[in-house]
Amino acid sequence: MGPGATRRRADGVTTHISYELAFGTYQDALRMVGVRTEARFAGTAVSAARIQHFAALVRDSNASYWDDEFATRVWGGLIAPPALLMGLLIPPPWVPTGQPPVPSIVLRVPLPGTTFVNASNDVEFLIPITDGDRLSVVEEVVSVSPEKRTRLGAGHFVETHDTYRRVDATPVATSRNTLFRFTPAGDS
Amino acid sequence: MTRDDIGYHRLEWHQITVPTDLPEVIDEIDYQRVVMNAGATWDYFPGHYDPVYAEKQGHPAIFVNTMHIAGFVDRIATDWAGPSSRVVRRKVSLLGPIYAGDTMVGRGRAVDKRLDTSTDAPRYLVDLEIAVANQRGELCCPAEVTLELSS
Repeated sequence: MGPGATRRRADGVTTHISYELAFGTYQDALRMVGVRTEARFAGTAVSAARIQHFAALVRDSNASYWDDEFATRVWGGLIAPPALLMGLLIPPPWVPTGQPPVPSIVLRVPLPGTTFVNASNDVEFLIPITDGDRLSVVEEVVSVSPEKRTRLGAGHFVETHDTYRRVDATPVATSRNTLFRFTPAGDS
Repeated sequence: MTRDDIGYHRLEWHQITVPTDLPEVIDEIDYQRVVMNAGATWDYFPGHYDPVYAEKQGHPAIFVNTMHIAGFVDRIATDWAGPSSRVVRRKVSLLGPIYAGDTMVGRGRAVDKRLDTSTDAPRYLVDLEIAVANQRGELCCPAEVTLELSS
């Protein structure tokens, strides 16, 4: 591979995060603590295709994801892998209206950090989510830490609490997530 | 262990002694799996598919997301207990990324079993501790999982 190939590769590099990150100061972020969103709905219902694409990713042969007869008898239908929960509410990266996807509230907390990485996630799965369920999520900002320095860089830990429901308002899961919003060491 | 009438194995709560070690699960994560991770979860954060972006963030390669690691944790739990079991709680702490080219090594242990009578129907629960390390033995993700089993 010559220098030209290297240049072509660099031309294709992602130059921005498609998620609409909000920027501001720590004080701005603190004003978001306690803010709770309106319910945000998934654009489509849970489908066997998404269930099995994720199960294939994880190489999980669990019959609850693959065997319709078994899953229907035990759960009432193929169930969504619990670990896919967050993904069921991520909007497609492009929609025909051209509107940018509405990101999770955690990315709309104004902070200086230019990127993020997840730190921890604690979820209770109240009832199974099955093929055909359409979900919504209500998100709340629980806390924003003072600046911390880690090996990745300096930034803030943002804790959120999410409640997932079916369209009939039955809660299916609650999640407590902590994300580290930071500027990589060397970029600041 | 018993089998249900379709032939899938089913670990029953009353059969379990604690502590019990779960079988080790190993999964090699190549570039295809990391890219598949973004596609299957719709999580197009560029660190999950763009090697140059990942390098600029201080990473040696693209890396999988929380959902992928959590899915591996759940697989370790339900591979052991069978498809009639259900994850009712899972906590993961992301200490280090799993990069393309890494191998995930999952080791679990059943540490407690309890009958939850706070719900309308009693729940037969088993608490697991699962550790996901990479091929260098570095702990990347300690996890706590609670499984609900049939009695």
